[in-house]
Amino acid sequence: MSGADPEYGHLVPLLERYAALDPDDPERDELRDQLVRGYLPVAQHIARRFANRGEPLDDLVQVATVGLINAINRFSPDRGSDFFSFAVPTISGEVRRHFRDLGWSMRVPRRLKDMHVSINSVVSELSQRLGRAPRPSEIAERLGVPVGEVLEGLEASEAYRSSSLDEMLSSEQGSATVGELVGQADAELARIDFQQSLRPLLSELAERERTIVLLRFFGNMTQTQIAEHVGISQMHVSRLLTQTLDRLRARLDPETRAG
Amino acid sequence: MTIDGNATVEITTPASPTLIPTIRAVASDLAGRADFDLDAIADLRMAVDEACATLVDLAAPTTRLRCTFLLHSDHIEVVAEVRAGRADAVVSTETFGYRVLQTLADKVSVQHVPDPAGNGPTVGIRLHKYAGDAAP
Repeated sequence: MSGADPEYGHLVPLLERYAALDPDDPERDELRDQLVRGYLPVAQHIARRFANRGEPLDDLVQVATVGLINAINRFSPDRGSDFFSFAVPTISGEVRRHFRDLGWSMRVPRRLKDMHVSINSVVSELSQRLGRAPRPSEIAERLGVPVGEVLEGLEASEAYRSSSLDEMLSSEQGSATVGELVGQADAELARIDFQQSLRPLLSELAERERTIVLLRFFGNMTQTQIAEHVGISQMHVSRLLTQTLDRLRARLDPETRAG
Repeated sequence: MTIDGNATVEITTPASPTLIPTIRAVASDLAGRADFDLDAIADLRMAVDEACATLVDLAAPTTRLRCTFLLHSDHIEVVAEVRAGRADAVVSTETFGYRVLQTLADKVSVQHVPDPAGNGPTVGIRLHKYAGDAAP
């Protein structure tokens, strides 16, 4: 999508003119309208990518359009990058923030929400470098903030219930080896006395939850290892495991537990 | 560890599921302050949840759940206890719940102290969780 792009190519000179105008120039409003209309299909396209996550598409398009306006306002053509490589992350970022704000089960100050996002964004990088999950002190050092703030952010993470942000922050697909690992975990499960009471309950679980439970409790993998194999964040694995254990516990009444 | 070794934190709540989230929040807070890695924090949190849920099921009505956290230099030891409702009550080690505890904690054992007056015994679960990669 360069300047020669037939669909958006004619907008490039307008962007340059817009960026060069004085902030008070009356011509800006009209130019901006033209640019927003011209690039609107980009915002719509990004909004559609986030559809089917429980939010109405109209709302997502609106949020994406806000992101587009921000991108138009902040873009500076003289830096040499093209508009798309700047606009796409800006627009996606706005939509993600929308989901992030929806995902909290109790009122959490914005500062802590941002800390949650910051922590989440460095955990997988640190895990890879360290070969294990990072400690709060290591996260604090990486972010350049006091440990106390990281601890507060971690505590706030417990109030975060939506999986949507975590899913967006991490890759879409699990590794090809997951099936093999689950096979090994399954074999381990078969050696357990209580597997007859557990197996039907496990089979009721959604595939991903079942996979995570098998890998953690029968495949002997840590949450961080599972996160890497399944392609979601460690915090998301932790949340899914807690929820799944709750559900299993409710279904395994004391009599069944004993068997 | 940022917390001085050998400190002890003790919580008692009614032996009902309602306040287990409070206990597990204390568990993850202590582990975070002790600079456990994120896996170890989450594991301890879930293990405490599982232990408390198991014991609450066995507890006599209107009794209390007591949870003691002993902060050692490189690990946290947790002892959760209730007075059981039935004289023959035991914490079974042949369950999925116990498997969960064994996986999440580095060491786990059950306690059983008969009541001299013939009421339900005091049953408990003791677990140890290390700060991270030092785990055996």
